[in-house]
Parts: sequence; C-alpha cells; structure tokens
Amino acid sequence: MQYLSNSSAAGVLLDLCGAVILLLAFACLASKLFNRYVAYYGAQSVVLSIAAATSAVAFHSAELWILAALTLLVKGIAIPFAARRVLVRRLALKRDAAMSTGLSTSLVAGGALTAFAYLVTRPALLPHGTAAAAVVPLSTAVILLGALTMVVRRHTVAQLIGWLIVENGVFLGAITLVATFPFIVEAGIFLDIVAGVLIMVVFVSGLTRQLAAASAGELKELRG
Amino acid sequence: MTVLAILIAAAPLAGPAAALAGARARLAALIQSAGAAVALGCAIALLTQLTGGHPLERWDGFLYADPLSGFFLLTVAGVTLLAALGSVSYISAQEDSGELTSFQVKLYFTFFGLFAALMLASLETGNLGLLFVLVEASTLASAALVGLEGRARSLEAAWKYVIISSLGVTIALAGTLFVFYSASALHPGSNLALTWPYLLAHASQLTPQSLRLGFLLAVVGYGTKVGLAPMHTWLPDAHAEAPSPASAMLSAALLNTGMYAIIRFLAIAHARLGGTYPRAVLLSFGFASIVIGALFMVRRGNFKRLFAYSSVEHMGIIAVALGFGGLLGLYGALLQVLNHALAKTVLFLSSGDVSLRYQTKEAAHVSGLLTAVPVTGGALLLASFAVLGSPPFGVFLAELTIVRAGFAAGSPAFPLLLLALLGVAFFAFARTTTAMVTGDPPRHDRGELSAISAGHSPRSWSVAVSATPLILGLVALLVLGLWIPAGLDSVLRDSAAVIG
Repeated sequence: MQYLSNSSAAGVLLDLCGAVILLLAFACLASKLFNRYVAYYGAQSVVLSIAAATSAVAFHSAELWILAALTLLVKGIAIPFAARRVLVRRLALKRDAAMSTGLSTSLVAGGALTAFAYLVTRPALLPHGTAAAAVVPLSTAVILLGALTMVVRRHTVAQLIGWLIVENGVFLGAITLVATFPFIVEAGIFLDIVAGVLIMVVFVSGLTRQLAAASAGELKELRG
Repeated sequence: MTVLAILIAAAPLAGPAAALAGARARLAALIQSAGAAVALGCAIALLTQLTGGHPLERWDGFLYADPLSGFFLLTVAGVTLLAALGSVSYISAQEDSGELTSFQVKLYFTFFGLFAALMLASLETGNLGLLFVLVEASTLASAALVGLEGRARSLEAAWKYVIISSLGVTIALAGTLFVFYSASALHPGSNLALTWPYLLAHASQLTPQSLRLGFLLAVVGYGTKVGLAPMHTWLPDAHAEAPSPASAMLSAALLNTGMYAIIRFLAIAHARLGGTYPRAVLLSFGFASIVIGALFMVRRGNFKRLFAYSSVEHMGIIAVALGFGGLLGLYGALLQVLNHALAKTVLFLSSGDVSLRYQTKEAAHVSGLLTAVPVTGGALLLASFAVLGSPPFGVFLAELTIVRAGFAAGSPAFPLLLLALLGVAFFAFARTTTAMVTGDPPRHDRGELSAISAGHSPRSWSVAVSATPLILGLVALLVLGLWIPAGLDSVLRDSAAVIG
C-alpha cells in the first residue's frame, strides 16, 4: 500500500484535521451541556469527512469519496440531528451533573492519555515521515479520550457520545492508509453504527421512562 | 462446500421468518429448532469435508473455513439447536401466562435467529474487518434479547451490555488496524489481500511492534465479549436478565465466538512473536478471570448470576489453556470450549424451568428441586457437577488435559494455581446448587406452586419437550467424557495445528 508523505499538501491537511478532531474530543470531555456534546460530535464528524475527502483526492479512490459522503451525511448530520431531537429535546436534557470525577481531573487525565498515545504509537511503529505516522498517534488519543468520556460521565447519553467518538478515532486511523478495509467492510461498519445508535436510543428512552432520570450513576440495582 | 457454508448461516433465519409471518411461540420455536438442526447438519457435513482436505476460500477470503472454524461452527450450531428446543417450552409458557406479549415473542424469535445467523457467519470469514462487523452486529442482536422483557432491570442490563461490548469490539477494530499496519512492509497490491490466511502465511514479514500492540488490543477488545476479567462487568447482568434460552446462547455461543476471534489473532501473533508474549497476555487475563469468577461464585444469590460467573471462570480456563499452548494446551482449550458450551446450555435451560416454576431467581428461595421437578432438578445437578469438572463428564477430561499441558509447558506453579482455583470454584458453586436441588420444596409455597404448575400446562408432552434439550446435552457431555470419537479427535488435532 502507498503512503502519503507528511510534507505533501494532503499530508499536512490530514494532520491538521487529526489535530482538530483531537481538540473537539477534548472539548466534549470538558463540556457540561448535552447539546454541546452533540454539537462537538457533529463538528468532529464533519472534520472527519474532510479528512476522508483529502485522502480520497490523494489516493484517487472513489470508495473513499463515498465514505467521505457517508460520514458527512450519517455522522455529521443524521446522528447529531436525531440525537438532538429524540434524546436531548424530548428527554429535556440540559446540564450533565453525573460525573464521577471533577472536570479538571478528567482534563488532566485526558492530557496524560494523549501523551500515552504518542508514547505507545510513535516508536518505530510506522515508516518515518509519513502522514500516517503523524495521524495514528492522534487517532489513538481520540480513541482513548472517547473511552475516558465514557468512564467519567455516568449519563447514558454522554456514554453514547463517548462511544461515537471512539468510533471516529478508529475511522481516522483507518483512512490514513488507502482504504485499509475493503468497501464492504467499511459499509458494514457504518451499518453497525447506525443500528447501534438506534438500539441504544431505544434503551435510553426506555430507561428514562422507567427511571425518570437515565443516569447510569443511578443504575445500582444490579451489583456484585 | 460453498453452498453448505452459506446454508449454515442462513438456516437459523427460518425462525425469524416464521415469527414475522405470525406464527405463535410454540410453532416459531419448533421452526427455529428445525433451522438450527439444518445448520448443525451442514456444519457436520462441512467439517467432514474440511478435515484432511483444503480450507474453503472464496470471494477474496470473505468466505473462509478451515477445521478451526468448522469446530466452532459445530459448537455454536449445536448450542443454537439446544437453545431453540429450550425456547419451545420456555417462551410458549411465558406467552401463555401473558408475561410476554405477542409483539415481544415476535421480537424474541427475530433477534434469536439473527443472533445465531450472525455468529455463525462471523465464524466463516477470513477477513478480519468483516469479522468485526459481524461480531458487532451479533452484539446488537443479542442486546435486544437481553432487554426484551422491557423492565428497568433488563433495560439496565441491556444498556450496560451494549455499551461495554460495543466499546470493546471497537477497540478490537483498532487492534485489527494495527495488525494491518504491521503488514504495511508487505506492500500488498490490494487491501483485499489482508485476510487472515494471507497474514498468517506472511507472518514472518510483519512488523513486530505494531503486531504486539494490535494483538493486545484485539485480546482486550474481543476479550470484552468473551468476558475476560476485568472486562467482564456486563456479563453477569446480561446473563441474569435475558430469557433463559437467550442466556444459554450468550454463555455458550457468544462467548465462544469472541474466543474464536482471539484465537485467530493468537495464531498470527504466535507465528511472528513466538510464544512468550502471547502467553504472558493470555495467562494474565485468564488467571484474572478465574480468580474473579471463583470469588464471586462464593456469594449465594441469583442462580443465573452464579452460572454467569462460572462462565467467566471457564473462559479464563480456556484463555489459560491457550496461554499454555502446545498441542496439548490447544487441544484441551478446544475440548473445554465444546464441553463448557454443552454444560452451560443445560444449566441455563434448566434454570429457565426453575424460574418458571418457582417464580424467583434467588437461590435461597429454591430447594427440593429433585422432589418437585425431578427431570429439571436432576439435569441441574448433573450439569453443575459436569461444569465443575467431575468425572465422568467431558469437562473433567478437558481440564485434565489443560493441567497436563501446564505441567508440560514448564513451570508447575501455574497448573498448581489452576488446580487450587478450580477447587475453590467447585465448593463455591456446588454449595449453592446442591442446596437448591436437595431438601424439601419450600413448604409455604406448595399451594402456590401447584397453582403455577397447573397454569403452566403440566401435560406430559410439554414436560417431554422441555426435557429434550436437557437430556440431549447431558448425553453429549457424558459421551465426550468417556470417549472422544475419532472424527472429533482429528478435527481437534487439525484445529490445534491451525493455531500452531
């Protein structure tokens, strides 16, 4: 498979997109309002689709163009729109108070995880001077930040967004190589995400109806 | 062979088709069982063609089956058949008593069939990306089964299950990516070449650093589905809240599918990195799971949670066996997969009968099963001794093989630790199940009990229907404990050779 060099225009743009995606993951970790979570996730997905389009240009790949369009439509528009309508508005969610650590603690932990991502993925993992070598640590950091969001937030909707951020991180890693997965697989991954979001929304709505507050922190019935 | 392979994954969809066409629970479950029986028959036919012959590879490796996949297909199809037979009495009893609406029954069979079909399909692909897609899809289908009853408890369990497992499997996808990165030195012409057989054949050219990270992430990720500690937290809740035949599917089929994925990554890692690193990873997660499983079994509470922690323990034993490695270790691991699957299916199906009769899942409220419901009680007793590794059942033979493999692998500390933990698990588990089976049925409940059994159609044929899967499973366990058929033996040897 071919590599983008990190000094080419596409390589620089990809790197930049990766950095913005990481910043948006941090923004999500730091915010306390539900509609911000959704907004940051939507923005992150739009940047991700720009990154996919960049590698589509660089690699002359029609499949990557389709993926970029799908990312924009599904992750950038449909999921944030639906999450806002079905979850945030209908369940009247505003401030997220259910956190297991303070905001500053979780940001420090996020910084440490980012450093850790560089530590793990940097040395001799990928050919030096390629765009992938610059972007893969970023995508690993996004994965870890998404997972951290799921750990420190106890609200089910926040955990759902955390999972979607993890998914974005993996996707960012995937597009830096020429369509690492065959198209059928990428399409399958999209289908899984959509089905996953659907089923999670059903559970969250059901839980909220039954518990009045769908806070995983209050889910204490099953222990041990 | 291609037709057989497709039929295996498609046959379980008969149940959803019947349910959507409007069949009632009993008929849908019978059709589901017939579909599963077809899948099992095809799996056996495929396996006989695969042993000694070439693996089946079609469509750029999207379809790939070797003896290892054949063995897991056999296990999963067998479990599906038993669980579908178990659904005949369990789900129709719930439908008759009005606990499940006809819409819920429809949902149950739709997702049951989808779940089985997706698991079987995931065992038949050589493309590691497609493996992720199918495993994640089977997570979603089974999450719907866990949340089926729609109460706060089951929704909570389903939420915990779907969010933890989805995160886990996504991490496994990241691991898959790193394994692909490790192959970048190969310059494969097209990415379609990045299938499992290709990666294994070119293992010596993979970059070790990237492969090491990829293997670890894959074990953590798919290990979440397997229920390896400390990623097991979803498992007891999901197993306790799902309808009992679905719990059997989770414990005996889904966990094994995750283990299958780990074994595929293990084979590549073993070929490139040698034994030490994969061994360290698998032994750590394996022993952690056995310790957690054994300790939590000491608590006497919900008996379905007890069985679930026993699954955590057994998946740990399988991981340890894979860590010991060698022909003996791999043989023992696979034997344990099959035997644990059979024993756990019988346990969960009989626990379904118990919870229907006694209207409780608390072990403390159940006693005198042998007097009240002799067949179910007997099956529960025999299966719990089988799962604990008592002779003459198959699990005994498998665990003996694993301990021997441990001694053969060098340090005697690990197999001795394993034996000690198995002892703890034995007492913790048997303490609860023997108390459930022996003694007198709860006196104050007698009147209520007979009322319940009257409501639950005590006709002899319905007893026979609910006993069929229990007896089938126990007979298979007994046979496997006494004698391993020559065909199965060669399948196990061939599969162990695949792993290396």
